[in-house]
Amino acid sequence: MQKKAGPLFYVFLFVFVFLVMFPFLWILLSSIKPLSELFGEEAFNWFTSHPTLKSYVSVFVNYPFLKYLWNSTVIATITTVYTVFVAAFAAYAIARLDFKGKSIILGIVLSVSMFPQIATISPIYMFVKKFELTNSYLGLIIPYTTFALPLSIWLLVTFFRKIPFDLEEAAKMDGATPLQTYFKVILPLAVPGIFTTSILVFIAAWNEFLFALTINTAENYKTVPVGIAMFQGQYTIPWGEISAATVIVTIPLVIMVLLFQRRIVSGLTSGSVKE
Amino acid sequence: MKNEKKSERRLAYILVAPSLLLILAVAIWPVIQSFYFSLFDYRLNNPAKSALHLDYNLNLERYLESYPFLMNTLKQEISQATGEKKEQLTSLQEQLQQVDEEIRADKEVAKRYEQIDEILNNFEVPSEEIKIVPIDEQAAQHLTKTISETKQTLKTLNENGQLKQGDKLTGLANGLSGAVIEPNFVGLAHYKNYFSDTRLWKALWNTTVFTVISVSIELVLGLAIALLINKAFFGRGLVRATILIPWAIPTAVSALMWKFLYDGQNGIVAKYFADMGIINNMSELLTTGAGAMFAVIFSDVWKTTPYMALLLLAGLQTIPSSLYEAASIDGATKWQQFVKITLPLLKSSILVALLFRTLDAFRVFDLIFVLTGGGPANSTETISILAYKVMFSQTNFGGGSALAVIVFICVAIISTIYIKFLGADLISDRK
Repeated sequence: MQKKAGPLFYVFLFVFVFLVMFPFLWILLSSIKPLSELFGEEAFNWFTSHPTLKSYVSVFVNYPFLKYLWNSTVIATITTVYTVFVAAFAAYAIARLDFKGKSIILGIVLSVSMFPQIATISPIYMFVKKFELTNSYLGLIIPYTTFALPLSIWLLVTFFRKIPFDLEEAAKMDGATPLQTYFKVILPLAVPGIFTTSILVFIAAWNEFLFALTINTAENYKTVPVGIAMFQGQYTIPWGEISAATVIVTIPLVIMVLLFQRRIVSGLTSGSVKE
Repeated sequence: MKNEKKSERRLAYILVAPSLLLILAVAIWPVIQSFYFSLFDYRLNNPAKSALHLDYNLNLERYLESYPFLMNTLKQEISQATGEKKEQLTSLQEQLQQVDEEIRADKEVAKRYEQIDEILNNFEVPSEEIKIVPIDEQAAQHLTKTISETKQTLKTLNENGQLKQGDKLTGLANGLSGAVIEPNFVGLAHYKNYFSDTRLWKALWNTTVFTVISVSIELVLGLAIALLINKAFFGRGLVRATILIPWAIPTAVSALMWKFLYDGQNGIVAKYFADMGIINNMSELLTTGAGAMFAVIFSDVWKTTPYMALLLLAGLQTIPSSLYEAASIDGATKWQQFVKITLPLLKSSILVALLFRTLDAFRVFDLIFVLTGGGPANSTETISILAYKVMFSQTNFGGGSALAVIVFICVAIISTIYIKFLGADLISDRK
């Protein structure tokens, strides 16, 4: 941290940021081009002289894009709330209580988070089909548990461990039961960690593709990633609409990332760095 | 004190139980089931194979939809026939009758037989569960044999124009033939087939190429970026946010975005690459095997290098700067400092980042599914894509599950190797 940044450094930084952002920039510029300028010679012009919002209108008029957004929001929210709720208890026990088999349980959680989705898809598909859950919210929320729950437990354990143990001791001295300690002492202190975990689980559920692709195939139940990916027809690809839809889903993400970047980074790195 | 410990332990198990049960039900059990599915010739589009059968079964609905009518029609035909033809038909009738009795000798089957018969007579549809009844292997084989003989005889007679209701008879006999469900247990046959199939090896090779190349580039670039931005500078937050955006956007959406940028006619990135001489002409990126693999790896590097850099940056920030100060006083060069201080202290961060990235890359699905669909000519088809295609395009769940199990085993092997290097660090209690 003692090193000072020189002007050359800022040039490098600018180039780096530009390269990372270039695809988004180009998509943003393309989304306001009229259809005729998306193809042919004019396709390579950076700026259009006839900006239009036609593609944006078309996304909502010609595609059930609002429905996709709603589906994704509902599914990701419910998945997040319920897995983080269930995981918080397990994580508390693993991080703070003394019992046998702790590392085995944590080992199972970690291994399950490494499971390839494709290895669970056929039984899960048969399961949701049997109980007629295809094309329903529950049909995705149940399978999403496979990755959301281990992720929540893993992150919450690292956050719970950071809370000083003295507080618990003090509560115990005052005669509080472990459950009282949990609700009155630990939980309030763990709120930031729970919040961070929720953001990461929400993003993971929002972005999921394979289960959504196979289980919710009806137009009315598609999620955003599958919906946008299926914009492309057999022979034509509506690039204008795809660009507009991409911009629409990226903007909230950018805002979220700008607001919560510190938390997201702490969540991403908490499992991997020893402190 | 001891009691307190005991109650604490009990509380811990109660708190952990719901999570463990859920994980068991939605993750571990399906993997076991996948393995079980992979031992069967399990096809959703084939009624005789759309469930797992270890034993012989009889589809009573199918059987009773044909058998009584076949017997009736046969009777009418016999009453009008003479000589050799009459004898032949009578013998058929007797054989069918005999085998029907043989099936009904089993009490359980007889009960169901009546039940289904009644349901069909009321023009109702019997449910999946009750219409399939397990039958004795000998009876099943006898029935299959009789049915095929009946079919053969009726077909020959019909072709010679000796039957009055020939088409109806052969039709009914054909209807009967699907009633016997043979066990579709195939053991390890799927694995044997796939291991001698070049498509599987090609897919495994593609997956390995994709994983090794993209993860190594990401590691080197990520480390370089982490080292460069590990200092105080103006706009840190903004840079960090920029880095997070490619990671946060759904892979399927970013893959589609790249598809637009790589487009052979209108893609800006394809044009720049062609202008720079990286490719000969724009269309090469998505229409040639090597071009498509390059395109897929390039997109993956774009999406995950920033993430890698973040993980490594967090590791770098835990190295105390006093170590570098001491080293530079001792006259160590920058390179020496990097090799002797940074790398050893960063080892566990690097290994963890590599572990997660390698597994992610090995399981790659969304990116390739949307960007190339595995093409052109299967040149970017990874093992997950192949498994998906076998399961959902060919509706061959048995074979697809075998491939899924192969992916699972590969992932297990990769993680075991990494964890060996990492030791138990990853899950140890960091009190």
